[in-house]
Amino acid sequence: MKLTGRVVYRDLEGGVWVLEGDDGRTYQLAGGDRKIKKDGQRVEVEGKVADDTMTIHMVGPVFDVASYRFV
Amino acid sequence: MMRRILANAVVALVVVATAACSSQNEVPASAEPGTRPQALDLTEAELVPGSILVDFKDGTTKEQFDAWEAEWGVDLEFNSVEGTDDGMTVAVGVDDVESALERIRQNPAVEYAEPLMQFHSSFTPNDPDYGKQWNLQMIDMPKAWDSSKGKGVVVAVLDTGIAYEDYDDFKQVPDLKGVKFVTGYDFVNDDDHANDDHGHGTHVAGTIAQATNNNEGVAGVAFEATLMPVKVLNHFGSGTSADIADAIRFAADKGAKVINMSLGGGGYSPAMASAVDYARKKGVTVVAAAGNAGRARVEFPAAYPGAVAVSAVGPERTRAPYSSYGKELDIAAPGGDKRKGDQDGIIQNTIDPRNPARSVYASYQGTSMATPHVAAVAALLYAAGASGPDEVEKALFAGATRMNGQAWTDEYGHGLLNAKASLEALGGGTGGQWPSLWWALALLALVLLTLGRRERPGYLNLIFKPSFVLPLVLATVGVFFARSWFGGASGVGGDVVDAVSLPIPDWQRIIFGRGKLANPFFYSAIIPAVLSFFAIKFRGLRPAIGGLALGFAGFLGYAAWAKAPGLAYMPFTFLAMPWLVMNTLICVFIARAMLKKESP
Repeated sequence: MKLTGRVVYRDLEGGVWVLEGDDGRTYQLAGGDRKIKKDGQRVEVEGKVADDTMTIHMVGPVFDVASYRFV
Repeated sequence: MMRRILANAVVALVVVATAACSSQNEVPASAEPGTRPQALDLTEAELVPGSILVDFKDGTTKEQFDAWEAEWGVDLEFNSVEGTDDGMTVAVGVDDVESALERIRQNPAVEYAEPLMQFHSSFTPNDPDYGKQWNLQMIDMPKAWDSSKGKGVVVAVLDTGIAYEDYDDFKQVPDLKGVKFVTGYDFVNDDDHANDDHGHGTHVAGTIAQATNNNEGVAGVAFEATLMPVKVLNHFGSGTSADIADAIRFAADKGAKVINMSLGGGGYSPAMASAVDYARKKGVTVVAAAGNAGRARVEFPAAYPGAVAVSAVGPERTRAPYSSYGKELDIAAPGGDKRKGDQDGIIQNTIDPRNPARSVYASYQGTSMATPHVAAVAALLYAAGASGPDEVEKALFAGATRMNGQAWTDEYGHGLLNAKASLEALGGGTGGQWPSLWWALALLALVLLTLGRRERPGYLNLIFKPSFVLPLVLATVGVFFARSWFGGASGVGGDVVDAVSLPIPDWQRIIFGRGKLANPFFYSAIIPAVLSFFAIKFRGLRPAIGGLALGFAGFLGYAAWAKAPGLAYMPFTFLAMPWLVMNTLICVFIARAMLKKESP
């Protein structure tokens, strides 16, 4: 699936990178490479939601990024 | 013959009930100085409710002040044998302390008169940064330690591991030195060494059982508890539902009494749900974080019926903006709110995320930090004698500080965690249910008074008729002695005991699971109403249905009066109140119809 939104760093549970999606939901970012971690950057990401993954951050579904581009 | 025996049994039951109820709420009669050896520097004075101290001029006799007592409305006695010399007297059970003192001070023979104080030295740990732990003050911690420190209770921490041993390139953090551990398991790397390669799990474990009073770092809530490190999350802090479900069963099988899960996410998983249920049936309290999405949805596993779901508050005692909430929420606890700085987070000893061998004291925030406060207080309750998860949850919720004057809210559940009040609530037994029996009896009087003389059944005939009294008792207090006599049984036997010890409207918990919200169909007049249709044809049923309806009326009336509990399916909590009141009235109406004697 494809999502657009904003990459944001949140100081929760020792720190977490999320995607504030244009669909109004917050996704916890996983996968991709470290360069996606740009606070406030708008992106388009492609990947899938990992339904069986639980985390300490609990900010929303985990989105496993296969590819992304800044928009 | 059988009927008479049964009737006598029921009468005995009611007498026991009355005695049990009246033995509560005893007021301490005298000041007792604290003599605990570990008492350190903090001396606190508390007012003893309804008690005063009056010091008369030396040589004042008992005859003299006995003569003044009537006018003052108090009953003074010498405090000790010294009293005849120094004139020191005390009185208990004073209704209005202020005005009594006012009157007493007018008398010239009185040197001074003041409210009686109780001096009590609380244990204060010597950990240098204890003063920064506002979270411990918030849950009334120093006082709770006087009755329990969680000794010997095993708490499993399902997380990123714990820095609990020197192994490979891992090092135990200094403020876990001396803390007791049992062997856990690393489900991520599949070995016995559940060390922390992230920092989160060690922080969470610190809140539960940081080494305390050791002149190092900070304190933990249940520092005499035993920790079981169970690693289910990898070095990025995530893991699979399969590993976590396995870990829950592992912890339950290896003797954990409490499982802490500061984790969440994903969808509903039948495997996880059944693991949580398995642990609970084994007598384990499962505590989990509500989530950090700041929205009205509690994450799994906290949302499973067997788990205690915890939301987070900041130092202002209001829900932290990140904390999730919702209808499955059970309780709130301090989780930090660092918008104004690190001092408003939760500080524990953990590892440097960049170097697992390096110890740091870090300020974290999150519902992950709130959860171990609740898990640790559960451990305190087990150490203080709680028998199982039902009793622990009851004490946790009963002791929680009500928020916004509500018995339950979707942001705070039953309220803000309070360790001391929960320890006091433990052992209150089924006392919370008695008022509904008194309500039922009061409503019975109402029904009898509103019936004309011709329609009125004989008082004694009715009250001593088992077919009337038994349903009434079952609907209000249940077979209240079942749990204390047969409680603790496991398996099916335990389920049966649980069932009959509940009032009938609470049987919904057996059907729908232990809910945070009551089912409004059970908390209504529907059961007595449906049964009353049968009584139209079968007159012999009428006293029984009447008793049942009155029992329901008492139960619902008291539930409404005590603002408890929240009802499921009701769009707004305020609808619960009119619902309960309306159904109480319907029940009274049914009872009246059932008990009415038909005019010949």
